[in-house]
Amino acid sequence: MFQWSDEQEMVRQAVRDFVDREIRPHRDELEFGDLPPYDLLRKLFATFGMDAMQRESFKRRIERERAVEAGESVEAQDAEAGRGGSADAIAFTMIPIIELCRVCPGMVTAMGVSMGLTASAIMSKGTIAQKERWALDLLTMEKVGSWAITEPNSGSDAFGAMTSTARIDGDEFVLNGSKTFITNGPHADTIVFICKLDEGNPPEERRIVQFVLDAGMDGLEQSKPLRKMGIHSSPTGQLFLTDVRVGADRLLGESLDAYSGKSGKDASKATFSMERAGVAAMALGIVDRCLELSLDYARDRVQFGQPIGQFQLIQLKLATMEVARINLQNLVFRHIEMTAAGVPMSYAEASAAKLYAARAATEVALEAVQLFGGNGYMAEYEVEQLARDAKVLQIYAGTDEIQISAVARSLLAQG
Amino acid sequence: MNVVVCVKQIPDPADPGALDPETKTLVRSGKLILDESDSYGVEMALQLVDAAGGGEVTLVSMAPNDEQSGLRTALAMGAAKAVLVSDEALRGSDALTTAKVLAAAIGRTGQPDLVLTATESSDGYTGTVPEQIAELLSLPSVTFAKSIAVDGGTASVQRQTEAGYDDVQVPLPAVVSVTAGVVEPRYPSFKGIMAAKSKPLDQVTVADLGMDAGQVGWSGAGQEIVDVSEAEAREAGTIVEDDGEGHQKVVEFLAELKVI
Repeated sequence: MFQWSDEQEMVRQAVRDFVDREIRPHRDELEFGDLPPYDLLRKLFATFGMDAMQRESFKRRIERERAVEAGESVEAQDAEAGRGGSADAIAFTMIPIIELCRVCPGMVTAMGVSMGLTASAIMSKGTIAQKERWALDLLTMEKVGSWAITEPNSGSDAFGAMTSTARIDGDEFVLNGSKTFITNGPHADTIVFICKLDEGNPPEERRIVQFVLDAGMDGLEQSKPLRKMGIHSSPTGQLFLTDVRVGADRLLGESLDAYSGKSGKDASKATFSMERAGVAAMALGIVDRCLELSLDYARDRVQFGQPIGQFQLIQLKLATMEVARINLQNLVFRHIEMTAAGVPMSYAEASAAKLYAARAATEVALEAVQLFGGNGYMAEYEVEQLARDAKVLQIYAGTDEIQISAVARSLLAQG
Repeated sequence: MNVVVCVKQIPDPADPGALDPETKTLVRSGKLILDESDSYGVEMALQLVDAAGGGEVTLVSMAPNDEQSGLRTALAMGAAKAVLVSDEALRGSDALTTAKVLAAAIGRTGQPDLVLTATESSDGYTGTVPEQIAELLSLPSVTFAKSIAVDGGTASVQRQTEAGYDDVQVPLPAVVSVTAGVVEPRYPSFKGIMAAKSKPLDQVTVADLGMDAGQVGWSGAGQEIVDVSEAEAREAGTIVEDDGEGHQKVVEFLAELKVI
């Protein structure tokens, strides 16, 4: 794959038109008015039939899983399931990410955490009953999900410093802990809560377990949105759990046997890989828009009697942005090809891609601000927002430093 | 209910257009898109077929270089099939020839209950083709529709006027031109876009329509483009300082224009 197909190009144009007409006019409310992004995302899903596609895909997957449980032959379905879907289907998940990021990268964060991270955690670890109970509504964006892993004192060292606990009390679990920087936290209907199982053993030996919580449960408190540097269209908050009592029906997998050994960490790592691949698409959207705006500005802005695009220092910025755009697009194409071929991106490669994408987006967006000069520093100009938004890509879903470690460790472990 | 919609595929207005210095016509060598003014007719047709509870929407288009991109967009919106007339001989066709070609192409679609068009294209602006098609097909014509409701063999049309609108009734089949902006064209769904790829597209030439190449294109055109010149730059407006009587000046200005 070296370019979008005609159909993918049509999807791209249709989504761009939608974003320009339906989302861009709300940019100020999303950016400065705490407008939650969910209704706009639901409209996006309904307009393009993405919710219906999710329902169909979910139904097929559940039918297949039921057949497997019943011991029926699912060879033909397995062939399809073994691959990651058609290139078109994967491209159709990437294109809305790219197009939304041209205007509001935060909306992608809100969407990705809800239907990506949260739903994926349930789909990969949950029982069929749990998937039907919680995942479908998240996949269609009917409900909003949060994936709660980060704590005030555990960021990059997510598992080592984690203090949230689940304690067994008869047939129930008692959950306690505080989570912070939780995307969708203030509005989440469904929360995947990741914590350590306290069986009286030392914290470093405790198993990582995951529970599904519903908003409004006794002992669960969701904070108001936190103020932050960028991605204002993605509400971020804190969660406080005080003796939240849940049954095994809320333990993902419904059995502690599902959490033997390192499986809890491995499941979270698989989620990290998927999340990191999505960052390339986000970066592409940001870079694409920054370049487009910078080109227009370089043509129109006249200084010293000529458009600033005539100056070589400005040309260097534009050319550097284009190099980043091409590289990011190729990363997205590679992700589509690999997923369609059923070849999962390794943890290290996903980390390398995320590292490059996050840095490229931030550097390009800051260069766009520089190219715009004083105007670029003003909130009125989009590049100011995109530069603030881009920075988070270097921090969330694993900081640059964590990605570097992952890449280097993988290299050193070879041969 | 079967509705035919005439759609034009035009160069993307977002790209800088160019004129061929030889022919003094718009360069149409690149990818063409669905003329936005036609998207309203497509949407209205889809709504009418939905309301009727059956039938289909067929597209008819004349375009150079076998261009299908704009048609695929309208097919993705929900149209069932399309007829595309593409022939080198059509290069240079005037409005009347275009109407003759479209009328002949409409004839290939069977017996439509209704033919919809835009009031004018966004790149040619002659605004004469809909009525010419109606005349060529011997059908009644209603122009500038802002809404259409079909009941049996009659269509009730609200026809936009400068003062408001006229209620008009027309027996079907008829040709109705639809005013831009009167409905909200739907976005094609992802599924619709994929389905459009395999929808029937009947691509025909001038000969397939039973027409002679000498009757169309430059040789059949009843017009000649002698010269093209840039439009005059807009003159600056008049600035009136409000000394307390500003409103009077506004009234006088409007009275001069005979709008009040």
